[in-house]
Order: sequence, then structure tokens, then C-alpha cells
Amino acid sequence: MKEEKKDNKILFITCPTCEGTGKNKYGFGCSDCAGMALGTFFNGRFFYWGPKLTKTTIEINHFRKKFNVVINIFSYIIGLAGLLSLVFWIYQTSQGLDNLQSFAFWREKSGLILFFWVSVLADMFVFYRMNEEQRRQYKIKPFQYKETNTDLPNNWEELVGTKSNFKIDVATGFPAQTLEFVEQAFLLADSLNHRYVTLIHLFFVILSDIQVSAIFSRLNVDSKKLIENLKRQIEKIEISDKKTELSRTIKEALIESYIQVYKLQQRKVTPKNFIIPCLEKDKMIKEILYDLEIDKNKIYNVILWFIVNDKLIEAHRQYRKMAGYKPGSNMDKAYTSVATPILNQVGYDLTVAAKWNRLEYCISREKEIENIFQNFESGEHGVILTGPPNVGKNMVVAGIAQRMVSENVPDIFKDKRLVEMDAARLISGATPSQAEGRMMAIIDELAKSKNIVLFIDNIENIIGITSGEEQSLDLSEVLASSLERNDFYCIASSTNKNYIKYIENTALGNTMKRINIEEPEENQAIQMLESKIGHIEVKYKIYFSYSAIEQVIKLSKKYIHDQYLPGKAVNILELVAVRTAKKGKNSIVSEEDISEVISEITSIPISKVGEDEGKKLLNLEKQIHERMINQVEAVEMVSASLRRARIQMREDKRPIASFLFLGPTGVGKTELAKTVSSVYFGDEKYMIRLDMSEYQHPDSIKKMIGDASGTKGYLTEQVRKSPFSLVLLDEIEKAHGDILNLFLACFDDGRLTDGEGRTIDFTNTIIIATSNAGALYIQDEVRKGTPIEKIEQVLVNEHLNKIMRPELINRFDGIIVFKPLSMENVVDIARLMLIKTGRMLEKKGIGFRVDERGLKKIAEMGFDPQFGARPLRRLLQDSIDNEIANSILGGRLERRDTVIIDDGAQVQIQKGKEL
Amino acid sequence: MVTNNFIAYSIKILGETAWDILFFPFWWYSYGLVERAKSIIAFLDHRQKSLALLVWIKNIHKPMYGQEDWRGRVISFLMRLTQVIIRSIMMLFWVIVGITLFFIWLVLPLFVVFQIFVIQFDIISLFSKYFQGT
Repeated sequence: MKEEKKDNKILFITCPTCEGTGKNKYGFGCSDCAGMALGTFFNGRFFYWGPKLTKTTIEINHFRKKFNVVINIFSYIIGLAGLLSLVFWIYQTSQGLDNLQSFAFWREKSGLILFFWVSVLADMFVFYRMNEEQRRQYKIKPFQYKETNTDLPNNWEELVGTKSNFKIDVATGFPAQTLEFVEQAFLLADSLNHRYVTLIHLFFVILSDIQVSAIFSRLNVDSKKLIENLKRQIEKIEISDKKTELSRTIKEALIESYIQVYKLQQRKVTPKNFIIPCLEKDKMIKEILYDLEIDKNKIYNVILWFIVNDKLIEAHRQYRKMAGYKPGSNMDKAYTSVATPILNQVGYDLTVAAKWNRLEYCISREKEIENIFQNFESGEHGVILTGPPNVGKNMVVAGIAQRMVSENVPDIFKDKRLVEMDAARLISGATPSQAEGRMMAIIDELAKSKNIVLFIDNIENIIGITSGEEQSLDLSEVLASSLERNDFYCIASSTNKNYIKYIENTALGNTMKRINIEEPEENQAIQMLESKIGHIEVKYKIYFSYSAIEQVIKLSKKYIHDQYLPGKAVNILELVAVRTAKKGKNSIVSEEDISEVISEITSIPISKVGEDEGKKLLNLEKQIHERMINQVEAVEMVSASLRRARIQMREDKRPIASFLFLGPTGVGKTELAKTVSSVYFGDEKYMIRLDMSEYQHPDSIKKMIGDASGTKGYLTEQVRKSPFSLVLLDEIEKAHGDILNLFLACFDDGRLTDGEGRTIDFTNTIIIATSNAGALYIQDEVRKGTPIEKIEQVLVNEHLNKIMRPELINRFDGIIVFKPLSMENVVDIARLMLIKTGRMLEKKGIGFRVDERGLKKIAEMGFDPQFGARPLRRLLQDSIDNEIANSILGGRLERRDTVIIDDGAQVQIQKGKEL
Repeated sequence: MVTNNFIAYSIKILGETAWDILFFPFWWYSYGLVERAKSIIAFLDHRQKSLALLVWIKNIHKPMYGQEDWRGRVISFLMRLTQVIIRSIMMLFWVIVGITLFFIWLVLPLFVVFQIFVIQFDIISLFSKYFQGT
């Protein structure tokens, strides 16, 4: 029998004689396995389920509990009555007596006193029973790596014979409340005449546990649906006339739950630990939960959340106890420090704040804090924490203050204060030389007092302040020289950018060791949020579902690039909390609420595709055609790729879509791009338009992506600011070849490196390039009636090849040929344009009517086979819009009048009826 | 059937209770005693830490408030000595409280038994009467 573990899955061994029932055929305990029946090896121990649950044992248990309650109450009553009898005796003897000695009840012989002494015995007995109960409370022994037993027994006989502390009955890790759930599951199966108690019985029963139901409500589960589904499954179980007993799988699940608790270093098994084994071992439960969008991972994370909360409470209790010993004033315990009046003026004592619980609890930053301590221990006297804004540099410092309060720090930090010096208060209201004087005085105080660690937030603020004369030192250099003399310890913070700009290579930068505080990983960030959520929930009286937390981290990481975790996620949570609080008390924040808020902040449609939006997407073509005439193939192709992108059926590493639009001028290439941007991103303003004729020279690459000197590139900067946009590369054939090469990487990996070396994310853009190449050829072939596919083929092979490299052409998701416009198309376009004019007039209270013959005449006048519909716009402007404007200004056109375009395409005005 | 079960359960549970009563005196002088000793030690440790007595003793030669001149040293030595004496007296009080509690635990059962049998039932005189009678 070897330790059987594969892929982290626990393998069980079953006694072959009793086949896991623990009983022989006569119903007595199996002699081969001594009733252990089945179990598993883990960490060098053998785990099995001990209790033989039968209806009788359960009833005895219940009876015992009741009996114990009765005995305890009885003992309490005796104890109380004993005290009363003593009081009564004192009252009796006090009547007419003035000698105190007669109150010495321990010398008196009396029935009342006898009763009192007996009651004292009863009190002691109660005390004993309560103590024993607490002592007997089953607790799981924590992991001890040395204990691993290498000689595992090889058969059941040997196993039965091994030492008892090697075999662990997992029921010893189940407190009474948890065992009761197992008993309830048994009674449920028994009352329904089921042969075996299965996991479904157990799962159904534990739903009434407070923590379990809290877990499911965190997961946003419809509990009614869950219960109904389970009930239906329980009803399907066959009825049997045999005695009910525990099934093998339930025994395995109980053992697994114990091992799970053992691994998580918890002390006792609670009903929440049953959930995962139930889900893993029972396909039906898995299906039911899967239907409710829950998988093992989510449940595990929520259980961890509960454990983290428990640990936080435990750590906090311990911390409060230790904080009691920390002096609350600015003196150390031994009164060796010196008063620091000047520092007290500009400083804020973080240790005192931590002692009175005014700092937020720091979590998941143990590594960084340890690193800081190690640096100080190895002889550094100053460290500077650098990192992007909002990653929690101040939280790390708060963590240090908290550890200083509980004295959980290296010796050099023990019995010291952590004081934050506010640079603004140091400088304000003082001339530079006065500020320098203050600084010197403070440094003097620090050096003398010896019990202060200084913290300076945004240390770059004190750099460059000098007393004015050319040779004089600035504030930071004063600080640096004092740190070099090892006068005191100092922690400072700065953002990466400011560090490079102001501190690196200065005297201060050289004396202080730089420690990077990185943006937390996803899981670390989730844990940080979980520790903050309790506070937000209490403040706004709402609840967060687990998926909401997961979502806020995921989405903010993906879509918000100019801020950092966990700060940005916390900000969003607060925003969502305010909003949800308006819905009423105890509302639950769901995944959708988070998506909605992030959508609004970033103007990106992220929320789940709703029914309305689904319809909208399905009718995308129709919607686009409301603004676009003809070009059916182009619209269909673009719509299809947008639909794929919205349902996330695309490669994550490439742009949402990339198209090359080919066709003569004025046929609607740019118009389609605009339409796509307003339909997909919500507004035309999410279009970044680059006129590629401006990038004809190889040097213009700088203009596009910037350079190392800090010049911002137009394209990269725009995409960095709004990563969700449509990039329109107009007349791409005119750009220089080197510039086109940039887009090779962009189409392939969805990213571009700008001149400063930052990677710009293009995975959320749609890239559309337009080109006039082969316009004449297209016009000719379309007139001849050649099919579009053929035109496209010739275009790519003969015309495009000359101006673009084939690898770039190949990288487009689609090459779309726009057909030249026919006369009918132009009429339709003219109608669309006039409708726009009509809408503008309507706002001014003026009617608008167009004669059909006039419309045709306008179209004819405005149509030019070479320039497409472009001259039409000019024509409308000149002949119609201008005329209307002049009439309004001249007072000829007023409210309630109607503008009519007559059959000669002339503007007529029909006066409104006199009132 | 139910009454049968009831009787069986009652017998089993009464047996357990009887065992509990027999075990009780043994517990008082074994597990209970160790537990009491531990809790009293923890209590005294807590008092010591809040009085910071050891910190004061350790720093007895260090000048207070950073006054390093000889006058400062003399004054703070005297000050610290006074502090140590006062704090020691307070600590002593707590130690006495702790020890008293421990002895009460030790003596209480014996004392109660003595009270019940010797004072109340006056077993000794009963015995002597019995022996005198024989």
C-alpha cells in the first residue's frame, strides 16, 4: 500500500473483506480492517471515518445533549440556591447580634450552611464540565513536516496493528455543530427510506448553515432554484426496506473535507468545507452548480475569502492585545528619548495612529515589509519606496507602523515611533532659508531622540529648495548628509517617474536604497480587496458578490491603463457601492453592476450582451444602412466580424478587426468607418484618423510614435488614452514603406512600442485602412459587370502589390472592394442628406418638404462618376443650405413656415397660416 | 419500542455521568491544576508588560530624556530607582494575588469536604462516640 496520489487527487483504499461497509456478513465489525472500512494516506498518516452512524447512536447523542443541558441547569440552580441560603443565614444571625465573630459561618453548624457548601461542590462540578467540554472540543493538529512516516504499512492487518496516533479518525476534527449536519443528512435519508446517505442528502442539509448560505449568496446563487433542483434529485432516489447507512462516497467526502481543512491550516471542519468534496464527487451536484454558473475555483476562492476574514479578525484581536503595551505618547517605554517639539509640529505620529486603530489594515505586503526590514538590518539607514501611484506605498508604511505597534519588528525598530513628516507643512509659510532651518532643527531632534523612524511621503517635494545662494545645499542634501552619518532611520516614497526625474543620481538617491513596490498580481489584488470590502459593505449597507470582486480586478486591469491596482479597483468599488446603496438596504453588487460602471468610465461596451443588444447586433446591417447607401458586401463583412468580436469569439492577441477598404473616392469608405465607430464604440469621436499622406517621409515615423526625447507620437498617444477606438488610416498607399512596416507587428500581436519604449495595446482597436489604388480599374470593371470577387483578386495581385508589401496585405482580416455609386445610389444619398437638413430645420420649428423630381435633379447635378458622392455635399451646401440660412437671417423664414424643394430643385418658402 | 430505547439510553448516559463524577476530583488536581497555573502565569506576564518593570530595570543607568550630563544622570538614576521600587511593589501585589488564587484552587475541595463532613456532620465526634460506645 503506497501513498496513492495522482494529480493532487486523493485516492482511497477500501477493505476488500467488508467492501467499505466496515461490517461482516453477520452485521458485526469487520475483523480485517477493525471497522475502518476505507481511508487514505496523506502526509504520512492514515485517515478514516470512525463513527458508526445508526439511528440509535444519533438518538443517544441527542438524548445526551438534552440530559447535559438538564444537569447543567440543575447545577446552576443549586449553586444559586446555595448562595441564597448563605445570605439568608447571615440575615438570620444578624438579628439582634453585634459581634462580628458570630458571622464566621465556617464554624457554624446549620442546615443552611451545609446546603451552601454542597452548592459550592456543585459550582466546582459545573466549572469542571465546562472546562472539559472546551478541552475536548475537537481540534485538528496543525501540519508538522517532520512527522512524515516513511514506513507505511503494506496491508490492512499491519495497518490495524500500527500505533494509534498514526491513524486519524477524521470525526475528531468535526465540532458538534458540524457532526449534527451529518446526522441530519442521515435522518433525512432514513425518513425517506433511502438505503444510503448520499452526498445530495448532505449537500441539501448544509444549505441551512449560515456560512454556507452566505457563500452561495456571495456567489449570487438563486437559492430557491438550487433547493428545488436538489429536492427533485432527492425524490428520484429509490426507496429501500433495508437499514440506512453511510455510502462510500460520503465517507470519502468527509475524509476529503478534513484533509482540505488540514491543508488550509484551519483548526476544525465546518459545513463550508463539505461543498468542494460534494461537488467533486457527485456529478449531479456539479451539474446543478454548473447550471448556476459556479465552478470549483469560484467556491474555493470564496471559502478562502471567509478564511481570510476569520484570520483578519484573529490577527486583529492579537494586535489589539499587543497594542496595549505600546506607549500612546511620544516617549518610549524607558523614557530615554528626547522631546521633539519641532518635529511634532510638522509631523504625524503613525505609530500612535496605528495604536488607536486609525490606519487601514495592511494585507498581502509581507514580502515588501520583510525586504525593507532586511535592508535596515544590513546597515542601510534610508530606503525609498518607489512604484506607480495608487499601488499602496503608504499602505506598506502603515503595515510597518502596525508591526511596530505589536513590536513584531527587528530589534533596531523596537520601542520606536514612526513619524511622517509632511513636506508641505515643513515648507509652508517659510522662506527657503527658514525651511532649511526647520529641517536642520528636526534632524537635530531626530538624531538626539534616537527613538524615531522618519517617513517622508513624496520626497521629491523637498528637492530643489535652497536658501537661495548659489553655493548653498538644498534640503534633500541636508537630509542625505545626516543619513550618511547614520543619525537616524528614514523611509521615503516617490513615484517611479519622479524618482528618475528628481532623485536618481542625486546625493539623496545615492544614500537611500530604492525598493520597488510593484502593482499586485490578480490574486494578491483580490485578497487586498477582500480585506477592504468589509469596511465598504458596512459603510454603504450593501453586499458584494464574489464575481463582482473578480470582475472589478479583471476589467480594470484590462480596460483602465492610466491607473494602477489596487487603487483603481477600490475607487470603482466605492463608486459602485454609492450607486447600489441607492437601490436600497442590503442590495447585492453583481458582476453586471461593475461592468456597467466601468463601461461608463471608459465608454466601452463591456456588459454581458443583453437581449436588446443581441437584437441590435443581429440587425447591424440594417442599422448601418440607415446611414450608408449600397456597399452591401462591405457592410455584411464588417458586421459579421463585429458580431464575432462582441461575443469574444476572437483571438485576444490581435486587434478586434482590421480591414482594407478599396474603391474610388466618394463611395463611402470613410463614412462606413465612422458608422462602425459610432455603432460599436458608441460615438464617432472614438475614431482616430490618420491622413497617411502626411507620413510620406521616413522621418515622420517620429510624428506617429514619438521618440525617446519625450515627443509624444500622435497615434500611440491617442490609442494609449482611449484604447477602445477605431483607427482609420486614410489613403494608406501614400505613406512611406517604413511606416507601413510598423503595422506588421500591430496587426500580428496587437501592440506597438512607442518612442519612449512603452508598449501600447492595440487589441481593443478596429483598424481600417483605405486606399484609392486601382480606382479606375474598379470603375471600368464594375461597368463591364465583372463579379466583385474577380475584381478583388486582380486588384490584390496586380495593383496593390506595387504599393504595399504582400505580408502587410495578407495580415488584413478582410479586403473590401467598394463599388462605384450608381445614379439610384446617389438619389438615396441625396435623400439621406436632405433628411439631415430637415431635422435641423425641425429644431427651429420650420417644416421641410422635398419634391421627388427636385431630388432627382439635385442628384443628377451633384453626381460625378470620378468623385462619387462628394460633390453632392458641396452642391447641397451651396444651393440649399446657403439659401435657407440667408432667408432665416433676412427674416423671410420664420417659425411654422415650410421650406419646399420644388421640382426644379429650387428653394421655396411656404408661409405658415396666420394665427 | 420507544420506552425500551429510552431505558437503554438512560442507563448508558447515567453511567457516563457517574464516571464524570468519579473523574472530577482527579481532574481538579491534574489537568485543572496545570491549566490554572498556566493562566495565572499568563496573567502575571501581562501585568509585568503593562508595568514595563523589566524595561525600567534594564535602563536604570541610562539617563532620561537624553540628559547626558552628570546631573542628568544622577537625577534620572534616582528617578528610575524610585520608579523601579514603586513598580516592584505593584508587581509584588499582583504576584501575591496570583499565588493566593493558586492556593485557593489547591485548598478549596479539601476545605469544602472538611466543612461538610467535619463541621456540619461532625464526623469526628460521631466516630469518637462510636469508639467510646464500643
